Amino acid sequence: MFNFQFRKMKLLLLATDIYGGYGGIALYNRDFVAALASHPDCEEVVVVPRIIPNEPEHIPSNVRFVSEAAKSNLAYLRAINALRKERFDLVFCGHVNLLPVARTLSSDAVLLVYGIEAWKPSRNRIRSRLATQIRSVISISEITMRRFLAWTSCDCRQFILPNAIHQDLYRIAPRDPALVARYGLEDKRVLLTVGRVVAAERYKGFDEVIEILGDLPEDVVYVIAGGGNDLPRLKRRARELGVEHRVVFTGLFPEAEKPALYNLADVYVMPSRGEGFGFVLLEAMACGVPVIASRHDGGREAVRDGELGILVDPNNLAAIRMAIIEQLARAEKKIPEGLAYFSFENFKARTHAIVDECRRLVRTSRP
Amino acid sequence: MCGITAIHAYRSDAPRIDAQELEAITERMRPRGPDAGGTWISEDGRTGLGSRRLAIIDLTPEGNQPLHDTTNELAIVFNGEIYNHRELRRRLERMGVRFHSHSDTEVILELYKMHGAGMTDLLRGMFAFCIFDKRARRMFVARDPYGIKPLYFADDGSTIRIASTVKALLAGGAISRTKDPAGIAGFFLTGSVPEPFTIFDSIRAVEAGTSFFVDEQGRTQPRSHYSLSNVFRRGCSQHAFVKLVEPAAQLREFVCESLAYHLVSDVPVGAFLSAGIDSSGLVALTKEVAREPLRTVTLSYDTTRSSAQDESADAERFAQEIGSVHTTRLITREEFLADVPRFFDAMDQPTIDGVNTWFVSKAAAELGLKVAISGIGGDELFGSYPSFSALPRIVRAMSLAERLPAGVPAARSTLRMMSKLGIASPKSPGVAEFGATWGGAYLVKRGLYMPSELHEVMEPDAAEEGMRRLALFERAEKLLEPDPMNGFGRVATLEAALYMRNQLLRDTDWASMAHSLEVRTPLVDAWLLRQLAPLLMHEGRASKQYFAESPRPQLPEYIRNRPKTGFVVPLTTWAALEPDGTSTRMRSWAKRVMREMEN
Repeated sequence: MFNFQFRKMKLLLLATDIYGGYGGIALYNRDFVAALASHPDCEEVVVVPRIIPNEPEHIPSNVRFVSEAAKSNLAYLRAINALRKERFDLVFCGHVNLLPVARTLSSDAVLLVYGIEAWKPSRNRIRSRLATQIRSVISISEITMRRFLAWTSCDCRQFILPNAIHQDLYRIAPRDPALVARYGLEDKRVLLTVGRVVAAERYKGFDEVIEILGDLPEDVVYVIAGGGNDLPRLKRRARELGVEHRVVFTGLFPEAEKPALYNLADVYVMPSRGEGFGFVLLEAMACGVPVIASRHDGGREAVRDGELGILVDPNNLAAIRMAIIEQLARAEKKIPEGLAYFSFENFKARTHAIVDECRRLVRTSRP
Repeated sequence: MCGITAIHAYRSDAPRIDAQELEAITERMRPRGPDAGGTWISEDGRTGLGSRRLAIIDLTPEGNQPLHDTTNELAIVFNGEIYNHRELRRRLERMGVRFHSHSDTEVILELYKMHGAGMTDLLRGMFAFCIFDKRARRMFVARDPYGIKPLYFADDGSTIRIASTVKALLAGGAISRTKDPAGIAGFFLTGSVPEPFTIFDSIRAVEAGTSFFVDEQGRTQPRSHYSLSNVFRRGCSQHAFVKLVEPAAQLREFVCESLAYHLVSDVPVGAFLSAGIDSSGLVALTKEVAREPLRTVTLSYDTTRSSAQDESADAERFAQEIGSVHTTRLITREEFLADVPRFFDAMDQPTIDGVNTWFVSKAAAELGLKVAISGIGGDELFGSYPSFSALPRIVRAMSLAERLPAGVPAARSTLRMMSKLGIASPKSPGVAEFGATWGGAYLVKRGLYMPSELHEVMEPDAAEEGMRRLALFERAEKLLEPDPMNGFGRVATLEAALYMRNQLLRDTDWASMAHSLEVRTPLVDAWLLRQLAPLLMHEGRASKQYFAESPRPQLPEYIRNRPKTGFVVPLTTWAALEPDGTSTRMRSWAKRVMREMEN
């Protein structure tokens, strides 16, 4: 009897940082690769990083991590050149900046876009032009997709693949007494924002929360968890407003402490303007913390248009204040039911569907 | 969308309220709300509420007013629409609140219970309402940030009477009809009566963007819940945000969001379409957002048909291109003359505008529409009035003249001579007088009469008293506190808080309500302004171009390059206006309006 079987797939991802990387994009890419690698037809996923800031964590067995590419520019080019000899069913370009490299490997590369890096044309004209020619895009959110299409006007296949939440890592737990003592949070109600505090990314909404802190009950303190060069300015701002004793700056903190940090919070608040998605909102919700997100960026999608948390206009300080009061009044910590939408299982299923569709597209477009 | 009434005898020595008066005031507003009506009087007979309802959201009788909350502690009458009521309802439900209707009115009541006076900051929409707390015997009165929905009150020191219109308050029969020279002077100076004045001494407007309580001591100090100048000022400091996104993409997103909110309705929504950028852009975006057939309406006047001023041909072409079901309504001189008595009857406060809105609303109502989208507010938002370029020049020049010895007298005599020779407008000497401040320059540029000319239309004593009490120039300057930081922000604040509030929006309200039509203004939206302020402050007048690029496809060249004509009603010939030294003869029309309103 004739036994028909598809050839197993070989996939390539060009990433900026992934294993051993900090932050949202690295995390998203790790999940993406894990989902690709779990596709039943996947033989191997090759991952080429641009940088490896830390010791890489666990890498799935059918993933080939070309770590030597991160050693130098020359090593990177050498690695790319070597890959040209291999045949890949699909090439994923993990950042707009890597489009010129991706183009040398495939004319059908699938671009991944996350946030502000894709909201406006790049200053580099070649990258911008290549972005307009792309045929398939995977976006972390509707808003990033919309803003990407607004300037590229490209007629491409569009996929939305929101972040996944690992509920095994983030869950409701009692406050860690060590952290409570370290930050002086005894008998305090805690507002929390997690994020880089960088001057160039002044859109997280730290300023807005500091501004209204004086109008909130005395026992409410604001914890800003993250490091960056904008800290001195924010400290000055808090001093000017006379609330410096109510703002806690953790500075850069170890990744392992993150779940415990969320569990310190009574309300997670992020009236931001530039988040591509706002996966930190998912992490907070997984820890049962009521959240307040922005209606003007990807935060809106992370709280499913207001179903999982309160949406505020970051420009409306009074509304932010009232949303905080509303969320503080909630009696107990509870994981919102709709959070399952962002489970890793769903992320995997979405990734597999995207891969199948992209494969079909590539197959039909080849002569 | 309704007409509302409240009478509250707040002092213990005030007589009980008169049920007939409450009925009479409410009944006078029947055209504002033909679908249902009702009144309610408290058990002690000291407080009454009334409403005429035009049902747009929740068409069932559960949405009728006055509405009482589930615990029967509060009662409300509300005029307007809360566009984000579904979100607010969801939030309240999460906090354990149970609703017994689908109306936005009940959402207001529950929000008030939870947040008190601060709840106005959560409302996106147009609103004017009174909430009566039965146990505390206290009334809460609030009006939306721009003043889209009107609300007036007369407080005699022991009883306060509140209604959506001045004429309704008078219809109750208990309020003095003594004229207020400040309101009349304001009308002749600006073409409309500036808030909070009316032409009656005893009636005042609840100022836009404010709220107050009425307790047994009377009215509390109004609380301002929105400041235009502050919004622009904050916008100026948000550089980081402006750089994040392409301007046209940013504009498109925010305007589309505003539109999506403004399309929330349980009845079909139509749109006014001229061939200008604002209404065309808005109609094109509405088509994209609504994804269903849209009805559009344009006016054409028989005497200007096929002239350069006639917008109907371009509007028809555009409507056909975007696929809207379009109607051009021809207005003739005979129809205008036949409508004049009804027009003046509906006009709540004297104004030199409103004819256009009257007819376009009439046309929309004839098509069976209850709700129409209008592009008004676009010129104020995107800085397309000539004042945006002229004012900075005037203020710069006059500030310089002030610093030169004898600079101001020299400028004054030069301008006076030019005016006499007919090469400058009769208002131009005012430039030397008032042009050094932003408020002064604005009022001269926009004014109908100059203060020195008021004696032509008012008794000199009344003119003087009116001017003193009106303190118009001081009021205009006060609008610019805190300073909006740049010329664009200052002019935009003045345009929105004076011309748009006192004339455009007020005229739109009475002229559309007379035809039981609710006009919605997605470009006049406090939330939209907050979102766009950073962009507007950095891009200034270029924003209009970005707006034209927002729809997909972009607006066509024949719309974008069309010279700005505005709605031009052939009033001069139709109303047989006498020459008055101005090209529009609006001074003659103003005198006619005042005569009609005094009758």
